[in-house]
Amino acid sequence: MSAVDATSATEAGHAAPKRRLRQGIASQGAVLIGVIYVILWVVYAAEQPSALSAYSIESLLNNSLPLMLAAAGQTFVVLQGGFDLSVAGIISLSNVLVAVYPVEGPFGALVNLAMVVGVGLAVGATNGILVAYMRIQSIAATLATMIVCQGIALLILKAPGGYVSEFIAYELTGSLFGTVPVAAVIAVAVACIWLAFRRTNTGIALYAVGRDATAAELSGIDVRRTRFAAFCWAGVLYGCAGFMLSAQTSTGNPTAGEPFLLLCFAAVALGGTSFSGGSGGVIGSLIGAATLMLMQKVLFSTGVSSFYTGVFQGVVMIVAVLFAAFVQYMSRSRGNG
Amino acid sequence: MSVEDDMTATDAAAAAADTRGAARIGSEPITIAVIFGITVLLILSSRFISPAFGGWSQTETILFLSSFLVFCSFGQGLVILVRGLDLSIASMITLGGVLTTTWLAGSNDGIWYVIPAILAVSAAIGSISGIGVTVLRIPPFIMTLAMGIIVYSLCLGYTQGTPRGYPAPALADLMRAHVLGVPAPVLLLAVFVAIAVVLQSWTTFGRRLYAVGNNPVAAHVSGLSTRRLTIGAYAISAMCAGFTGIALAAYANGATLRMGDDYLLPSIAAVVVGGSSILGGKGNFLGTVGGAILLTTLGTILAALGIEQGWKTIIEGAVILVALIILRESVYEAIRVWMGRTSAG
Repeated sequence: MSAVDATSATEAGHAAPKRRLRQGIASQGAVLIGVIYVILWVVYAAEQPSALSAYSIESLLNNSLPLMLAAAGQTFVVLQGGFDLSVAGIISLSNVLVAVYPVEGPFGALVNLAMVVGVGLAVGATNGILVAYMRIQSIAATLATMIVCQGIALLILKAPGGYVSEFIAYELTGSLFGTVPVAAVIAVAVACIWLAFRRTNTGIALYAVGRDATAAELSGIDVRRTRFAAFCWAGVLYGCAGFMLSAQTSTGNPTAGEPFLLLCFAAVALGGTSFSGGSGGVIGSLIGAATLMLMQKVLFSTGVSSFYTGVFQGVVMIVAVLFAAFVQYMSRSRGNG
Repeated sequence: MSVEDDMTATDAAAAAADTRGAARIGSEPITIAVIFGITVLLILSSRFISPAFGGWSQTETILFLSSFLVFCSFGQGLVILVRGLDLSIASMITLGGVLTTTWLAGSNDGIWYVIPAILAVSAAIGSISGIGVTVLRIPPFIMTLAMGIIVYSLCLGYTQGTPRGYPAPALADLMRAHVLGVPAPVLLLAVFVAIAVVLQSWTTFGRRLYAVGNNPVAAHVSGLSTRRLTIGAYAISAMCAGFTGIALAAYANGATLRMGDDYLLPSIAAVVVGGSSILGGKGNFLGTVGGAILLTTLGTILAALGIEQGWKTIIEGAVILVALIILRESVYEAIRVWMGRTSAG
């Protein structure tokens, strides 16, 4: 494993001019998943013509947004070369917080948002300290923080219940001026923030650290601070995912985050981000997440028993990882050729 | 280029062998002794909570309850040893339990081929995970998480949502039997631990797993079939989880779809608390056994104190976290240096 990493690192060193080409092809991962998404829409619309109604599009977007935000957050951690399991814990925790302490009105929604962002940031920073500064393997450290978050969520709310403030439950799942779904606005906003972030020093450092931490360190990048920042961004986005999940379900559930654990990795992989770090991006993950939710919708419109949802999710997960590896392989072999 | 590669591989192998030897002499017996010491202290001090605690009968109960965790932690430990993580354990336990109750359907007939069949099915599923990890290069936790969800979903569909049937009466009787005054499950635990220790630390297969975990490239260069060994570790892990499911179904006299949930995270915790490195290549099954008994003792005491589920979960996470922080390489290094200094001075 380490030798494989080392070879790819030297390769990257020798092939610096080719790097741009490879990056270009890697971003084709996002294009590829975008094409798949559109094709799926066509299939879905052909099967169920009502799928193209404004209501149907709005509800599908509302269903997809929490996973899209979670996958966006996960991308930061995967890009720097690690995995973040705390996503399940943070989403459960924020969902429970919003449902147990609802504050009414638009201002109240902001207060709730500040709460979950604060919690996400705190857990993300803890992960960052454990992984970046104390050098604990990311899977192990975030597994522990995930369990602790789930415990806190259970302390706040023992069983599913509570209610989410009306403003969050209705306004955030509706449409602006009756035409543009709020969920779409949020997704586009996240994409824009990402595009801006990618051009900052931290954004560039994120890719450099993921590709080769030692080389990044030698060229003067603060590797530990970059890793720390990635976990903080991830935590904040998970908090937002929990917030939007609450808006969608309008109730609290201390285990609400569990399904996100596998799905958000599947979304990241589908979006063309490499699990070995350093290539891919948030836009691909956003589309990947939307594709996963659409796929489930298409599958169940064909009448498969809901008992077998898990088989579908598991198989999609494995296929997604192989797909990401295939995109990587293609870009690498073309980069060398 | 190839000469250089060989050089680095040999160096790496030598270095790996070095740290392995040092680690075994330096920290492993200490870790195991400390874990068992804490466990004994916990059991003794639990007398303060309730006078019924702290005696031999409570120790028997704890050993009995921890045996399920010990069974599945052994497989988890082997997978972690080869740098993996098995997140399919909960579903595999459920599968073992569901198959025990549906295939045996409350009768002793066919027990001699049903149980080996369940273990074989489990091992086959584990091999698929192993192939996914080695041949398809899917990250272990994703492969096993996906496999776990698939298996759980199949159990759900197979039982149509509610598992029916009962295990064989012979199995249920075995769980309640006493041999020379010792509960049969405790003896079963002792036999299992003995076999597992021999398999992990004394057989060629076990030693080779350490080699793969320490440095897969060096192991491969020195002629080991790292793929086959890794797949073997995943197969054994799934088989141990299936076995746990059979034992749990026999104990509870039935199966539920959620019966494995309480064992996944504790199995990782037991391995980590037991002093194995989460990075692979280092660890001893006796440490894991100590970790499993320690966690079960802690759980029993917390239950007796009437602490709510949330706190129990938080404590579980905190125990893993503390173990991870304490058992880091750098801390061992510091202890080794300190011990070297004191023995020299």
